[in-house]
Amino acid sequence: MKGLMIKDLMCMRRQLILFGNVVVSVLVLSVLYVLSCKYGNLALANVQMMRENGLTEVDIRNLSTWELALFMLLPIAVTGDVATVFRMDGEAGFAKVSASLPLSVEKRVIARYLTVFSVFGIGVGIDVLLALVLSFLTDIIIFADIIGIILSAASVMSIYGALTIVFCFWLGNGKEDYASLLSCLLMVGTVCLVNFRKIRDIFMAGMDGQDAGATGDRLNVLMDFLKYRFYLLCLLAALVLFLSYLGAVGIARRKRGII
Amino acid sequence: MLQETKNVIEVRNVTKDFGDFKLDQVSFCVPEGSVCGFIGQNGAGKTTTIRMILDAIRADAGEILLFGEDNRKNSARLREDIGVVFDEMGFHTFMTGRDINTMMKHIYKNWDEAAFFACLKRFSLPARKRCGDFSRGMQMKLQIVVALSHHAKLLIMDEPTSGLDPIVRNEMLQIFREFVVEEDHTILLSSHITGDLEKLADEVVFIDGGKVILSGNKDEILEGHGLLKCKKDSIGQLDPASVVGMEENAFGVKVLVRNPAAYKNCPEAVLERASLEDIMLFYNNRTR
Repeated sequence: MKGLMIKDLMCMRRQLILFGNVVVSVLVLSVLYVLSCKYGNLALANVQMMRENGLTEVDIRNLSTWELALFMLLPIAVTGDVATVFRMDGEAGFAKVSASLPLSVEKRVIARYLTVFSVFGIGVGIDVLLALVLSFLTDIIIFADIIGIILSAASVMSIYGALTIVFCFWLGNGKEDYASLLSCLLMVGTVCLVNFRKIRDIFMAGMDGQDAGATGDRLNVLMDFLKYRFYLLCLLAALVLFLSYLGAVGIARRKRGII
Repeated sequence: MLQETKNVIEVRNVTKDFGDFKLDQVSFCVPEGSVCGFIGQNGAGKTTTIRMILDAIRADAGEILLFGEDNRKNSARLREDIGVVFDEMGFHTFMTGRDINTMMKHIYKNWDEAAFFACLKRFSLPARKRCGDFSRGMQMKLQIVVALSHHAKLLIMDEPTSGLDPIVRNEMLQIFREFVVEEDHTILLSSHITGDLEKLADEVVFIDGGKVILSGNKDEILEGHGLLKCKKDSIGQLDPASVVGMEENAFGVKVLVRNPAAYKNCPEAVLERASLEDIMLFYNNRTR
């Protein structure tokens, strides 16, 4: 199993190099952003917004947290591409070799999950560390706020990854792009269905005489959910991951040679 | 007292229906210490059978024993003693010999790192070069090196020599010969290049259209068949039960017969030794 994980990591070599570069870039960008918020143009802009647009200090802090969170989601996004290993295995025809190795189907599946989610975990870990350092160095962001956003995003990416893996097993070699697309569609579709009324209200605001302020409030509710109720998304991600593993083992057992 | 022959592979009445292709009641044995040639044209069912032996495909019916054990129950453990070589390499093109060693030493319990690098050196395969940059012959040799580096007792090879030039093919046959010097080493070699098998195999299994049409000791099969060259009007004198098939040409007819000894002194026909290729072709034409 360890051997397959090493092979998968070799497949992700390019992705890991990109990840390293992104982490360094995000670190530099975040430091520059924080410095600018404190002493540079962003500080001036914030003062101007407070004076002319009536924004409060809390609004500015919220805005900064979101802007910084956007940078910090990049490492998670890079490590969240789980289809790469499937694609490379398919191109090499590794399935044949894999089927001849002294490893059970379960071990071959779990090796894939362990590799992909270990790398993803490193991405999340680095993000959390970065958030911790930045929140210690400056009063612009609050760790409790940004960690919620990071973990919410990580949970969403993890759900996407877990679905993509099971779809990759299901659809077989050469259909990794369809697997990714299907996961996206499934996630977006589920969110839209569950929140149909809220989404409709947001889009209809202003068109049917609704108060635009109400739309803003709804968005704030969503933001607060991501910041402070991230554990719900984390639990959902853990559940989807578990179900995805069971599904992948079932499919791989049935298909035998494809992994 | 004669020691009982142990079969390393026993395929018993294996059936697999894919809808457009069916492997029908396939049965054969590969005795320990032998080289078994698995012969058939492309699409005859060789690769499917091999994949079923490796438990990469499940049969609809029948059973397969590897080293005397059901291959489905202990497939992962049994594969520890099997080296497999495919017609295409299967390793990622960016991998070097060193990468493959790093991967395999964490997969096979018996992986012998020293043997792996010694083999690479012996076959002049650079350990630091990407295997995607290897020639086809080198890629096949790399697979053989991997198969030999975990002290496998059984080598299963699916068309390992197809597409290779005669010199590399010969080199590979020499490697296989060296492998079977150890008496508990066995090879199942699938190929449609019957010349290679004629040089190497002890046993042969002919498969066509998903059915085994002939199997047994190679020498007995060769001795049990003969190629009779005669005029068309002499065919009537042949025993129809012994005729496998015939082929017309400008000079008369070529007939593949069983029990060639019966025709040794036939004045109107010339009896020649049949090759595995002749036997494969005539049997294939018969089933068409």
